[in-house]
Amino acid sequence: MPHPDAPPADAAREAQRPPAEVRFAAELARLRDTDTAPRPPGWALSLEAARRFIVGDPARDVARKFVGDPSLVDRALVTLATSRGLMLVGEPGTAKSLLSELIAAAVSGDSTLTIQGGAATTEDQIRYSWNYALLVAEGPSPRSLVPAPLLRGMADGKVVRFEEITRCPLEVQDTLLSPLSDRVLAVPELTGPDAMVFARDGFNIIATANTRDRGVNEMSAALKRRFNFETVFPIADFATELELVEAEAARLLEHSGVGVPPRRDVLEVLVTTFRELREGRTAQGQAMDRPQAVLSTAEAVSVAHAVGVRGWFLRGEAGTAADIVESLAGTAAKDSPDDLAKLRRYLEQQASRRDGAQWKALHAARHRLPG
Amino acid sequence: MPVTFVGVRHHSPACARLVRAAIARLRPAHVLIEGPADFTDRLDELLLAHTLPLAIFTHHRDGDRTHASWTPFCAYSPEWVALTEGRAAGAEVRFIDLPAWHPAFADRGNRYSDAEERYAEATRRLCEELAVDNSDALWDHLVEVAGDDGLAERLTAYFDLVRGESEAGEDDAERERYMARWIRAAAADAGDRHVVVVTGGFHTPALRALTAAPGDGADGWPEVPAPAGGARHGSYLVPYSFKRLDAFTGYQSGMPSPEYYQRLWEGGPQAAADALTELVATRLRRRKQVVSTSDLIAARTLTEGLARMRGHAAPARADLLDGLAAALVNEDLAQRLPWSARAPLGPGAHPAVVEMVGALSGDRAGRLAPGTPAPPLVHDAAAELERLGLDTPGPRTLRLTRPKDLERSRTLHRLRVLGVPGATPTSATYTEEGWTLAGDDARDSALIEAGAYGATLADAATAALEERALAAGHDMAALAAVLDAAARAGCTGVSGRIAALLGGGIAAATDFGGLGAALATVLGLWRHDAVLGTAGSPLFAAVIDGAVTRLLWLAEGTRGGAAPAEPKRLAAVAAIRDALRHAAPVLTVAREDALGVAARISADPDAPPDLRGAAFGLGWAFDAADDPERAVRGAADARTLGDWLAGLFAVAREQVLTGGPGVLGVLDELVGGLTEADFLIALPALRQAFHHFPPRERETIARRLLERRGAAGSGRALLRGAPDPLAVARGRALEERAAAVLAEEGLL
Repeated sequence: MPHPDAPPADAAREAQRPPAEVRFAAELARLRDTDTAPRPPGWALSLEAARRFIVGDPARDVARKFVGDPSLVDRALVTLATSRGLMLVGEPGTAKSLLSELIAAAVSGDSTLTIQGGAATTEDQIRYSWNYALLVAEGPSPRSLVPAPLLRGMADGKVVRFEEITRCPLEVQDTLLSPLSDRVLAVPELTGPDAMVFARDGFNIIATANTRDRGVNEMSAALKRRFNFETVFPIADFATELELVEAEAARLLEHSGVGVPPRRDVLEVLVTTFRELREGRTAQGQAMDRPQAVLSTAEAVSVAHAVGVRGWFLRGEAGTAADIVESLAGTAAKDSPDDLAKLRRYLEQQASRRDGAQWKALHAARHRLPG
Repeated sequence: MPVTFVGVRHHSPACARLVRAAIARLRPAHVLIEGPADFTDRLDELLLAHTLPLAIFTHHRDGDRTHASWTPFCAYSPEWVALTEGRAAGAEVRFIDLPAWHPAFADRGNRYSDAEERYAEATRRLCEELAVDNSDALWDHLVEVAGDDGLAERLTAYFDLVRGESEAGEDDAERERYMARWIRAAAADAGDRHVVVVTGGFHTPALRALTAAPGDGADGWPEVPAPAGGARHGSYLVPYSFKRLDAFTGYQSGMPSPEYYQRLWEGGPQAAADALTELVATRLRRRKQVVSTSDLIAARTLTEGLARMRGHAAPARADLLDGLAAALVNEDLAQRLPWSARAPLGPGAHPAVVEMVGALSGDRAGRLAPGTPAPPLVHDAAAELERLGLDTPGPRTLRLTRPKDLERSRTLHRLRVLGVPGATPTSATYTEEGWTLAGDDARDSALIEAGAYGATLADAATAALEERALAAGHDMAALAAVLDAAARAGCTGVSGRIAALLGGGIAAATDFGGLGAALATVLGLWRHDAVLGTAGSPLFAAVIDGAVTRLLWLAEGTRGGAAPAEPKRLAAVAAIRDALRHAAPVLTVAREDALGVAARISADPDAPPDLRGAAFGLGWAFDAADDPERAVRGAADARTLGDWLAGLFAVAREQVLTGGPGVLGVLDELVGGLTEADFLIALPALRQAFHHFPPRERETIARRLLERRGAAGSGRALLRGAPDPLAVARGRALEERAAAVLAEEGLL
């Protein structure tokens, strides 16, 4: 039963990016129909089926949607079935939000109860606020109450997503304390049974936080204790990441009207460079300084896109390692001279040691870095 | 002549149970086990009252190669169970695989390692299908916690799949042909009694096919191959340890977490999970980490929940570890969980993860029963000590310039590397060492334990140093100690793994000064050292190359504004200069690239002044710097001039002296032009800078200054005449203050 305030299904389908439960409606239905395992109270699917929705199930024609360790998904789901919340932490661009969306869609069939954290987030946006016209006319009543995602999630027994929780002020974060531990939210303005909203089965919270902004160190210990932490890592496997970058870049390039697909050997150099800078360690084990800039898979895709566009529109070919250098300056180094220096050292001291024509080209093009 | 094949994974408790059940059910006449055939005659030795784990250690040396390998056993090894249960059931028990010295094992250090790469693709697809992290989790899911019903059939299907998909190499084929001959012979001998064959599951499908096919004509028991004449080889029992069994710390190992599987073997998965949860909590609390009761409840709940969701009747190893991690870690992690990534713990691992991995790995160590023939190392050490006259107690003085004494010193250092008591160094200079030797009862038992490292003192010390290099990680001091020990114990000719390990440590080192000092030392040893015999050693060459690369990398990353010159840092740049000059053939960094780095540092306003000066000096030392006079002028700020010069003089002293009058002239001009206040600021650093010149060169400078100014007198007098410069400085400061007061009062 969709919430009355939720957009009608048709509108969602025309949206630029419909929520996961709409995008994967067919898969969810298949899983639901064949799901015989017991479901935790309030869940739309059993644990096993929810897990298969995310890690994929060739037997039921369900695609794999998250390429990290399957055990991470297992731990996340089991956590949600207990009384602790789930905190997904990790570098930017590691698909934390996608994972939280998929989990909410699988567990509750609804991933739209989302609070976006930010410096200006207030308690109103988390719990509830008022329709002031009605409030003035009738006084506080369930009719004049405008529920925000937390209240709705508790009342309907659904998973609430809290994105970028650490970007909120500490006091605002602590709003979650009693919903998480006592599973109840007080509405002191109302009287009678409406003054307390008790969470129904199926309610829980998935928060995400990235380790770059402010980190989780500033969270209160009380709140930390109510969450189980799961760190989401960049894609561990080179081949998987390369494949993803290739597919995404090819799609974007086609969209941009570029007539040739990206070159595999150029992409290999690009993805290797990103991975090594991101990990601060070369494939040979040498430690390096990691740039401050975010070097996620998503950034690699956008560099691959830029390389293709440069190559095609400037010279009518697929783009070379030299184009990588030019594009890297803008993405990997942004405006930080420090990062630029790290990048230059990498190109000079590491690229020169690799075999292969594209590595040589990368090394030769190091002078194209600005500054 | 029924033959029952039990395909196993080495060190799998479930497979061990299967073997035990098969023997109890069939009461076979023969039990044939994958193991070194040349040890069959000595099974009694293996069955003495040892404390497990232990291993059969085999060493082999001929003209072409030396090889050492281990065949380890623990209580839950299927091979060990086959051996003991087979004996108890009255069967004839035999090892039927080729001996460990055989060329088919040339690149294996552990007979019972999984050598998984042979079927990685098949397991990868299975992992994907079942959505588990890796082959360890897959194995537990399919075998260890899946119950014994239909286990044999599942295993057969599993091994048929992995074997069917992979290409067995010629080494495997040769071993299988040999094992098949034993099986045929045993089947013929057994008549209508049973034969049980316990081998790695990877081989089972092939063995089944080979024994079903008609024989190759060679009937009767096959002979045990003997190595070619002139080769030295032998097999001995040595104590082993859980640490070495564990894939997290060893290489080429099999199943991880031996302590976990030991407990699973003893009491089943539920008991293992309960006991280890408790053990992890205890270990963490001992480390002063907070583990609350609610954390433990959460850990149990999560473990149970994970086991149920994954369809396990009792928690598997990954369920236990995942549950503990979810409950006990409440920060972000710096690295993937080691049981998911199948990687060793990296530096900076979360303490809870460290303790979890440690508790499941365990620290049991085996002990040989009294009366077991001693490993070859014990005899080798005794023979060496006797040959060198070191077998009687008392003090010894060794002159390292004498070949015999050098040999003695190396032998004693090797004993120390192996932790064998009885020899204590009392003094050491470059060419002479004093030692006290004591007869020590603990020596033999220490040697028996060290016997697992190798058959001779040299081999064993090398292996022990490898282990120490691995443990040292990125700690420069520890790595330097390993290098020193390697040089003294004469283990530097063997480059291979030690060089790779040291290279790995150096590649991640962060201590610029420490690394520079190490480079200087090693460079000296590599170039000149005839006493220890390290000149030209490939091990040291590899270290030099790694250190130069890393130092250049670190140098460019050094930031920080004006700060006093750091002598260690400058010495490190000087070491780079020497390496570029004298060790160019072994460096992988091109000189131009190194000088490019130097040029950038010298022009970088964010680099510390001493490093900039040193970097400029590095360029100048190779004639790659343009216009030194201009550079000196550019460094003329009174607050940094001295530090900059300290860097320059540390690296390019000769160039300053021989490079014509220009630079000295500019310096004279600059210093002469400083105001009194600026001069006092610059003075301490300037003094430090000029200390890089020995007295004779300082005199040269003084003479040139006199010439430049057209003054008479000797340079020496100019230097000698100066009283304590601090007193002079204090005096001048006083004078200046007096002048200022007088000027203020209008009296001047």
